[in-house]
Amino acid sequence: MAGSLRGAARQPVTPAERPRADRPAPDAGASERGAPGGLARAGSAAARLAGLLARRAVLLAVLLALVFGAVELLPGDAADATAERGESAADIEARRHLLGLDRPVLERFADWMAALPTGDLGTSARGESVAALLSTPFPNTLLLGGLALLVTVAVSLALGCWAALRPGGAVDRAVSGSATAVLAVPEFVVAVALVLVFSQWAGWLPAVTIADAAGTPASWDMLVLPVFALAIPQIGWNTRIVRAALADEATAPHVETAVIDGLPRHRVLSHHLLPGALPAIAAGLATSTGMLLGGAVVVETIFNYPGVGSVLAGAVTDRDGPLIAGVVALTGAVISGVLLLADLVRAKASGGRG
Amino acid sequence: MTVSARPTGPTHRPAPATRSGPGPWGVALRTAPALLLVALAVAGPWLAPHAVDAPVTAPYAEPGGDAALGGDQLGRDVLSRLLAGGRQLIGTSLLVALLVTGIAAVLGAVSALRPAVGRFVERAADVLMLLPAVLGILLISLSWPDGDRFAVVTAAVVLGVPYAIRLTAGAAAPIAASGYVEAATAGGEGLWHLVVREVLPNLRATLLALFGLRFVAAVYLVATAGFLQVGPQPPTADWALMIRENSAGILLNPWAVVAPSIAIGLLAMSVNLAAVALVPQAGRKAVTAL
Repeated sequence: MAGSLRGAARQPVTPAERPRADRPAPDAGASERGAPGGLARAGSAAARLAGLLARRAVLLAVLLALVFGAVELLPGDAADATAERGESAADIEARRHLLGLDRPVLERFADWMAALPTGDLGTSARGESVAALLSTPFPNTLLLGGLALLVTVAVSLALGCWAALRPGGAVDRAVSGSATAVLAVPEFVVAVALVLVFSQWAGWLPAVTIADAAGTPASWDMLVLPVFALAIPQIGWNTRIVRAALADEATAPHVETAVIDGLPRHRVLSHHLLPGALPAIAAGLATSTGMLLGGAVVVETIFNYPGVGSVLAGAVTDRDGPLIAGVVALTGAVISGVLLLADLVRAKASGGRG
Repeated sequence: MTVSARPTGPTHRPAPATRSGPGPWGVALRTAPALLLVALAVAGPWLAPHAVDAPVTAPYAEPGGDAALGGDQLGRDVLSRLLAGGRQLIGTSLLVALLVTGIAAVLGAVSALRPAVGRFVERAADVLMLLPAVLGILLISLSWPDGDRFAVVTAAVVLGVPYAIRLTAGAAAPIAASGYVEAATAGGEGLWHLVVREVLPNLRATLLALFGLRFVAAVYLVATAGFLQVGPQPPTADWALMIRENSAGILLNPWAVVAPSIAIGLLAMSVNLAAVALVPQAGRKAVTAL
């Protein structure tokens, strides 16, 4: 079973997961480039990568087991949930048999897990393929979350560095203060504020996302407000992390030496401070991924964005456990991937020092 | 090895020059807005000029006359609903923060004294990190349809405890290794005695800070759950629910949406300001389990 799970993490085959498939590759390449030397060094790097991968895969498998268990605890099952009016108990029983719901829990769980690597996420309460139901909305949500993550990375790095260049100055206090202020505000409150200002009053950007025939947002400007509604609290959060990580790193002896040597401040920042602060920053951004994907569910309902948020809203009304489990499996896989990248950054940083 | 965004960690590092911790007056000053807002929200239902569930104006009526902030989608008084709509959010969040802090205090002390428990807690936190809190709440409230706000409380506690334990276990570790705990262990004291009498009394500052941070996280989660219509149901007056219900009429009476948005935004900001002031160091992870 473990083998198939590792497969699940390594080769995402669902169309829904495609945007993620090329992400681990560049970093894996970078980590090998970062380990100069012979085959032995490359071999140990590969072993370490495999170890990190296996660990993430096991953690993901445990989460999936928990989610499956939670869905199992639901009162009633998919056969009940989709029962039509006037259907006899025998009809429901027949459909339960058809959906395979009368088999033992462990057997169904094993089947569900074994099917995941092939892109089969099971069958929804309405008897449709979960993978097919999510094949358009999930990439849309990934697009939204991915863009928000990019904005978060760029803005929080810029603000954090700007504040760190003049510790204790007016800029530092303004940046740190506003970062603290926004980091705890729920996304839907930010979204309402953005809609009001940029859409209703200024009229610059659309408040509602309209999907084209392919089910994706019809134009790029529909993405701006949802992306910023998601990104702003995370920018606050990560700016603080960048600022704190840089401040921590500033006390390191090699940084003091660089300052005493009279290197320009921006060079100290880019060559001496940032590399050491990177693992903490990467870990902060990785935890933001979960927040972004969770927040996307909320923000999508405000902007009528065609992502998993609308699918989930329907799934909750229908008490469609398998569909929710499928969404959790996909988001869990994405978050695992990003956490793995953060693991690699950390491994590379500690490898470089050791 | 574990990825956790806690840049300064529980171990003490030299505080950056920018943020030497605020003095006692500084802490009082920074916690005042949160306390004031909480008091206002708790007293709010008594201050409300109208009933929260009876129409007093036309739907989405503009502010004026009897209704200072206009009417909502059923013509109910926005100001009254605003005053009444924070109590449950704050009450539920306080309950979550208390439960998480309490459970994390005991289990954190146990993990510091019994490393096997500590490792298990670490793994649990690693697993739950893969589940966005919003999805976790949907999942639990789905499994427990009649749970109402208790489903939300359960979800927030289950999702919050493992992270909180990391913090308490980290703070308890040096205490567990201290001489007087060793002496008590050698004296044959049981685990419960060690936790309650030896370790926890020395964690007061950490626990107070943790409570503040958990309250911040709980406000976020409970408000978001309310917005997703998990938890308080209409016709309850609830800030998050008001935003959801009245968003269709945002052009007719913006106050029906703006007022509760400002309320939640101010609550989140002031509570976070207070929580950060309570944390002894800068840069500590503020909203862990979101």
